[in-house]
Amino acid sequence: MDFLRVCGLRRSIRIFDRKKPVDRAAVQRILEVVRVATSCPGNLQPWRAIVVEQEKLAAADRKTLLAADNYQAAHAQAPIWIYWCADAGAARPDTFRKRVHELIDVGAMPTYYGWTHETVDGSILRGEIAPEGMANIEQIIHGMPLEMSAMIARQETVGACAIALLAAVNEGLGTCLHSCHGAEKVGDVRRVLKLPESWSTIWVQLVGHPLEDREAGGQRPRLPFGELFFEMDPSRPFARDERVAKDLEREGLLQAPSPKPGRFEELMRIGRQLGYPL
Amino acid sequence: MEELRSYASIMRWIESVNRYYKLPESDWTPRLAAVRLFCERLGKDPDAVIRAAVEEKGAKVEMMRRSKQIAKEISGDARAAHDWDGVVRSFFIHNGARVVVRPYEDE
Repeated sequence: MDFLRVCGLRRSIRIFDRKKPVDRAAVQRILEVVRVATSCPGNLQPWRAIVVEQEKLAAADRKTLLAADNYQAAHAQAPIWIYWCADAGAARPDTFRKRVHELIDVGAMPTYYGWTHETVDGSILRGEIAPEGMANIEQIIHGMPLEMSAMIARQETVGACAIALLAAVNEGLGTCLHSCHGAEKVGDVRRVLKLPESWSTIWVQLVGHPLEDREAGGQRPRLPFGELFFEMDPSRPFARDERVAKDLEREGLLQAPSPKPGRFEELMRIGRQLGYPL
Repeated sequence: MEELRSYASIMRWIESVNRYYKLPESDWTPRLAAVRLFCERLGKDPDAVIRAAVEEKGAKVEMMRRSKQIAKEISGDARAAHDWDGVVRSFFIHNGARVVVRPYEDE
């Protein structure tokens, strides 16, 4: 599907067809997209994902994972649950060093900006000031505490989740991010998923075929462009060119806002079909 | 019991549901009958039912149990019972009382 149309169609799908299985190849394609397209400082790639097929779960484990998400209906319906986790252990100074060496060796980071094994080692291992032209990695990575690694791993995994959502839409699937657990259920989820010590849960991505229309009633309310984006300083909203917006409308990024006509009739029909009270 | 539609909780329910779904009057007749019967069985008016449910979780849980029980008594099959119980739950939900909702068992 065209990239802009994929972005335009991205919705949090909240009603899945629980009887329609998801093709395993589609799940792999989502993961492959995340692996290739997600950006990360130092090429750390600290995201990890555990794909859970709801049908294959033991009843008690299914119950535990659903309870951790307060038995949300969409969670119970979606056939595939992808638990996205951040691995703090993959964002330690030594990993930075190894990954950046790798980037230099494959020609991703120009040596003429100062990136060499020696400068990287000096900054990361000994805290030497990075030459101008390079990132000042000594300030961030040298002697970096574990909490900082955890924070980096978390923020970069959130980026991976954003890509994973678009990848699922591109497969024609419905998808949505849920919190994995409330504060009291962290241990339950860790136990069922058998998470290693250095991993922490970020989001669970629900994947399935939408039972609602894939447009799910239209694009969600968004803040005005000028409230989000600025030029030069925050007092100057970025001037939006309406001709560009019109082009994006034609290209499928900007779509009809919710609620589209018939949205509540659709919700009513599905509610009745599934037996939810109106 | 007075005219059902004169109770604040009933008015709130109808207004809230119709804000989104605009149910035809023909839908409201059986819905109101269900809530009337439920309230009669509990010996409370609709406003008192909601007051009790919001004030005390235990009372609400017990009322939900009664709703299921009545639904079974008066309905021909499991789906009809589920629907009847769902009407009562809708009345609670739209009056701010948190209740559990589930789809049909075979869905």
